[in-house]
Amino acid sequence: MTRNSGTRRWVLTGLGITLALSTAACGGNVGGGSDAAAEDFPGGDPVTIYVGQDPGGSTDLIARALADAASEDLGVPVTVENKPGANGALAAQELAGQDPDGHTLMVFNGSLGYITPLAVPEDEAIDIADYEIVTGVSQDDYVLVTAPSSGFATVDDLKNAGRPITFGTTGVGTGSQLSQELLFAQSGIDATAVPFDGGSPTLTAVLGGQVDVGSIQLGEAIEQIEAGELTPIVTFAEERPSYLPDTPTAVEAGYDVPVQQSRAVFAPSGTPQEVLDRLQAAFQAAFDSPEYQQFNEDNQLTPNEVSGDELREQWTSNLDSYRSVVEEYGIDLGGAE
Amino acid sequence: MDLTPVIDGFGVVLEPTNLLYCLIGVVIGMLIGVLPGLGPAATIAILLPLTFGIEPVTAIIMLAGIFYGAQYGGTITSVLLRLPGEASSVVTVFDGHALARQGKAGTALGIAAIGSFIGGTVSIIALSLLAPIVASFALDFGPPEYTALALLGILLVSTVSSGDRLKAVIAACVGLLLATVGRDGFTGAERFTFSNLSLADGLDFVPIAMGLFGLGEILYNLEERHRAVQAPATVANVWPSRADLRQSAGAIGRGSVLGFVLGILPGGGATLSSLAAYALEKRRSKHPERFGQGAVEGVAAPETANNAAATSSFIPLLTLGIPANATMAVIFGALLIQGVSPGPQLVSQEPELFWGVVNSMYIGNILLLIMSIPLVGLFVRILRVRATVLAPITVLITLVGVYTVNNDVFDIVLVIVFGALGYLMKKLGFDPGPLVLAFVLGSLLEDSLRRSLLIFDGDVTGFFTRPISGVLLVVFILVAALPVLQGARARRRAVARPDTRELV
Repeated sequence: MTRNSGTRRWVLTGLGITLALSTAACGGNVGGGSDAAAEDFPGGDPVTIYVGQDPGGSTDLIARALADAASEDLGVPVTVENKPGANGALAAQELAGQDPDGHTLMVFNGSLGYITPLAVPEDEAIDIADYEIVTGVSQDDYVLVTAPSSGFATVDDLKNAGRPITFGTTGVGTGSQLSQELLFAQSGIDATAVPFDGGSPTLTAVLGGQVDVGSIQLGEAIEQIEAGELTPIVTFAEERPSYLPDTPTAVEAGYDVPVQQSRAVFAPSGTPQEVLDRLQAAFQAAFDSPEYQQFNEDNQLTPNEVSGDELREQWTSNLDSYRSVVEEYGIDLGGAE
Repeated sequence: MDLTPVIDGFGVVLEPTNLLYCLIGVVIGMLIGVLPGLGPAATIAILLPLTFGIEPVTAIIMLAGIFYGAQYGGTITSVLLRLPGEASSVVTVFDGHALARQGKAGTALGIAAIGSFIGGTVSIIALSLLAPIVASFALDFGPPEYTALALLGILLVSTVSSGDRLKAVIAACVGLLLATVGRDGFTGAERFTFSNLSLADGLDFVPIAMGLFGLGEILYNLEERHRAVQAPATVANVWPSRADLRQSAGAIGRGSVLGFVLGILPGGGATLSSLAAYALEKRRSKHPERFGQGAVEGVAAPETANNAAATSSFIPLLTLGIPANATMAVIFGALLIQGVSPGPQLVSQEPELFWGVVNSMYIGNILLLIMSIPLVGLFVRILRVRATVLAPITVLITLVGVYTVNNDVFDIVLVIVFGALGYLMKKLGFDPGPLVLAFVLGSLLEDSLRRSLLIFDGDVTGFFTRPISGVLLVVFILVAALPVLQGARARRRAVARPDTRELV
């Protein structure tokens, strides 16, 4: 299945060896046979993609949609293995310990790289510098919603409520929490975070008026928004998502808080460049397939199919800008009170 | 009420796959009902990982089938061999075996099967009527309501359980403590995780249930010496006579109602209701001396009640997300594995699942009624499989199974640790049920309480000003005062107790 010409393969293998050696010097546990494996990746061996969430969630669905299409291009089985725990940190930790031969990958959640580090102790935070990035995948937008009975429709309504606001988040260290903390801090609204356990309970709490507002991933709320059971106030996207064209973004409303959930395919540190390239090509083929594009559409996902380097830049700059704005407003993501 | 989802539910059940799994479930249920030792909670816990790859509704249909199937199975060995396969069939031994000795084993089994069927059916109908009413309040159930419910549930579980109350309370407290392990969902702080990422999300429910119920019971059973099983008496004349039916009609009616009510209560369930129904019939009878000598009512009442209770204990789980007993806690775990969180929204959000499962119980009960009599001989033969063969196989299935849920070796370690704990608990007379239930409800209680206090801005009176949580808390206070009333009831029940002690 390898389509590279012989010469190019040798050059790249050389690169791979250099890279492997350089990481080995840094103390990475590089498998001895990685250069030989790099030559004709995948070489008939299956590829496993870790997912740090339960089956059925959006990350899991994305991984499965990608696996199907990539398997066709690679000519070997690509299986998804769920290793839920600690918001994906458990799977990420396990990925770091695997042989960097391209046969073990993971669909990484952006929040793990650029939001959770702001909420958990430093030694538990995942550093994306410890991984290779195969490719960016897609982005999911957060939308601030409320029940129609609350009477709120804009951020100004919340500001003029004349009482403290309660807001539901999908958990500590999530984009849902960060987006709202940033919005309320910047707009000077007195608000209390009430963390729930994921998107669905948060949605129920907003629907039932248990909390005033909540920030939920667009795909999870769209059905209720279209049915008129939820009022969208703002989205936290950089520009209006095509799936919700009539709702202003927080940026438009005057608050600088773009927060998105981003997803990317990661590999263990020290994976040879040639293998990364081959994988990238396989995922590109997946992105190009009409089934996958339909999948994105069905799940309100915005493609973010950028190169590994570009993605690393995106996520690193996200972490930096969130860290500075969180410090500026004295927001403590860890302490909800 | 709108009947469309109910009818759609029948469509779901009648899909060949679901019918097949329903059949598999009730057959497994009858099997383990026949085998003494391994109960439905243990079996369902061990089989949890198998449900992973199948549709949620199919999985729950099968697991539910195991639960109520076991109530049927337990009867068979009680009647024929004086060997109750399930705790809920212990009282059936008294009159069931007496009837068998009189050559009326067929009558006893027939009455038990008919009673079970009626009891189960009454409960399903009541469940079908009640669930949508509860569900219509779904959105009114916020954190304060769940706090009150969880409090009430834990209190009931640790006080109403059939064993030693102090030991139940201790087990429940251990369960509550175990529920605190993991990353704090409100502050991100680590609690008892020893910097182990596997513990960051807390202890997983599945390995705990599989260890305590599954491995623990297998280990405990290995200790018991297995009696040689004598050949079963031939079973003939299964259809009870008109006189027998007339005699047990009242017992079946009362057993249905009693079983239904006790099944809903957390901590109640099949065992308690079978004891209560037997005691009730004996007290009402004009000739209480007939009991123990082969009274048909003595078979009809407990068998009806335990099946009614097995069905009605699904009500708190499917409508409120509160498991009423150990088996329901395991099914709760199964729903969570499937990505379904049981609660008041279940009926409206997952009507196919809800009505599919509920309606499968009609089908399952019919299947059981058809199978239970002709297959008696086959089931009894299974008793001859030696524990030395059965135990290692079950342990292997348990350990392989738990790994497949999260693909995490840590879970295997957890199963072994909790298996050892479950064994020790049983040996020392602790029921692992309250521990597991308190563990499940513990995180719900803590999270809901803290959410409520955030919403109320720290004002505790908020719990009493909301109608549902207010009422639930009043009930909580009443139940907390119940031990005084129970003292009186225990004195009355002492009438039935001498025979119990004699036989167990």
